[in-house]
Amino acid sequence: MNRQTILLVDDEEDIRLVLSVALNDMGYDVLAAENGEEGLRLFREKHPPIVITDIKMPDIDGVDLLRMIKEEDPDTEVVMITGHGDMDVAIQSFQQEATDFITKPINVENLEASLQRVHERILAREKLREYTQSLESMVYRKSEELAGLEKILETENGGPLAGDVVRRFQRLFDDLPCHVVVMDEELVLTAVNRKFRRDFGDREGELCYHVLKNMESPCTDCAVQATFSTGGSQEGGGEITTPDGEAHQVLVWTSPVRTSGQTPTHVLTLYTDMAQIQKVQDHLSSLGLMVGSISHSIKGMLTGLDGGMYLLDSGLRKQDDAQVHEGLSVVKEMVGRIRNTVLDVLLFSKDRDLRKAGTSVAEFAEEAARGIRSLVEEHGIAFSLECPEDAGVFQVDAGLLRTAFVNVLENAVDACLEDKSREDHRIAFRVRGDEDAVVFEVEDDGVGMDEETREKMASLFFSSKDRKGTGLGLYIANRTVRQHGGDIAVESEPGRGTVFTIRIPRAAGTDKDAPRDTVADCREGS
Amino acid sequence: MAKKILVVDDEHAVVRYMTTLFEDHGYEAIAATDGAEALKVLDETVPDLITLDLQMDKVWGPQFYRKMSKNQALKEIPVIVVSGLARPELAIKKAAAVVSKPFDPDELIRIVRDLIGG
Repeated sequence: MNRQTILLVDDEEDIRLVLSVALNDMGYDVLAAENGEEGLRLFREKHPPIVITDIKMPDIDGVDLLRMIKEEDPDTEVVMITGHGDMDVAIQSFQQEATDFITKPINVENLEASLQRVHERILAREKLREYTQSLESMVYRKSEELAGLEKILETENGGPLAGDVVRRFQRLFDDLPCHVVVMDEELVLTAVNRKFRRDFGDREGELCYHVLKNMESPCTDCAVQATFSTGGSQEGGGEITTPDGEAHQVLVWTSPVRTSGQTPTHVLTLYTDMAQIQKVQDHLSSLGLMVGSISHSIKGMLTGLDGGMYLLDSGLRKQDDAQVHEGLSVVKEMVGRIRNTVLDVLLFSKDRDLRKAGTSVAEFAEEAARGIRSLVEEHGIAFSLECPEDAGVFQVDAGLLRTAFVNVLENAVDACLEDKSREDHRIAFRVRGDEDAVVFEVEDDGVGMDEETREKMASLFFSSKDRKGTGLGLYIANRTVRQHGGDIAVESEPGRGTVFTIRIPRAAGTDKDAPRDTVADCREGS
Repeated sequence: MAKKILVVDDEHAVVRYMTTLFEDHGYEAIAATDGAEALKVLDETVPDLITLDLQMDKVWGPQFYRKMSKNQALKEIPVIVVSGLARPELAIKKAAAVVSKPFDPDELIRIVRDLIGG
């Protein structure tokens, strides 16, 4: 494995020495600097992906260094070393997107835990980037098509239909949790969304830099003007000031609006609060889970949306009223479903509370098994579900927990596929229970795991290289099971397969009213 | 006589999309919402081409294909896989073509024309 480089900046020689040795032991190459200036010089020269810096240093202090590093490469992970009572600086660093903090006196465990979080973030960011890039380009294309559709409606049908599409766009923007404005070439605000109106008041018709910056002239590096002159989208950072005088660090994203011809007549600009992005990043890991499953369903919905637009378009050409209306209702349905999926992602990333309901254990197991039946069939793996019919009921968030089980089952399939030593494999999914809990077992005869792998498995993003998927599956499974007050145990040996034992309390933590059916042990036979 | 295409997909909107698309281009289109239903349709009529989604609740794509290709009368019908799964080309190796969702309608029509003309 490639050794990663860490830049360590601290003005105390003893600390540099101790930390360098510890980091070397953990397998990192260490660049050490005794002050901010040297730190910055080394950073520019070597571009280390990770920086650990003390906050209190003469001249350039840790927070300054953090800001300069983030300006040069926002993807650098910076860990701050803080002393007791450094709370203010710590918050300041957090706003500047520091990755983590270690408090003095530093011990090796804390350092290791912190670096673990750093790596999780790096991985999460890569995964999210991959994901958003492909999804973004797809959604982008669709919105262009929607804009095209709007034009068709204006020219060929006009009236209420066109108004409907415009209203739909307005609603979309109103629902966004960021500030959206449209301005003309004079930088006059011509339209704003609901959040903007709420935070800034009714300011349409006023100049952008008056409203957003309290300034008398445009910014020198105005992204909107750049969009007017280049005709292309711009991205960047900046600061806006709300009427209460508070300054907000924002990400700015602009997009040209053309009604006809090549020259933009307006520019649409989105301002997203960094503080909000920070919150979202904390939930990167949970978002990762959605990657695999939602990209498939979103592709399906986008195809449906295409379908709606095609029906509309072809209906208009054929002057087939029924087909036009069918197309419109398909578009409506698909837009609604896409919105719900996006909301699900947002909800999930918010550590949402469990939506528990009495759920039949047998039906639940059948549902979870259905998630991989086609997969095992495709690969010729023998699969058996053993569950007593009278397995009773448990209080769970069935949707969430089902995802967790499918993840564990898919992991078993992967383990079988990875085992090239023989052709035939089997996976057994067994359910048994007593008064208080339901116990699920997933047993495979795949590759199995050695001790090291078993330990790693508990950490985030574990997945061996050959395996597909997000690598988040088991982590999320673990999290969901714990949220239900349960636990996961693993027995495994290389070459002999793996048994996951998942225990879920019937009352799942808090709810005491769960019905309690007696469940026979179904290990033998059934 | 117009060539006949069987569309197999569990998403109603996609079924309507594809059948309308094919009809607009002069084909006759029939539909089934899963593999089981598609097998029943094949008992009564032999289409010139089949478009097949992979992920369906009852009898998914590959299973449908295996069953269909056991029947001598049906095994030569060209099948176009139309799926949003990550590596759809791996699912049915003998597919005449593989199209990823969301797809370009002109591209799909071009593929259909290459396979069965019309």
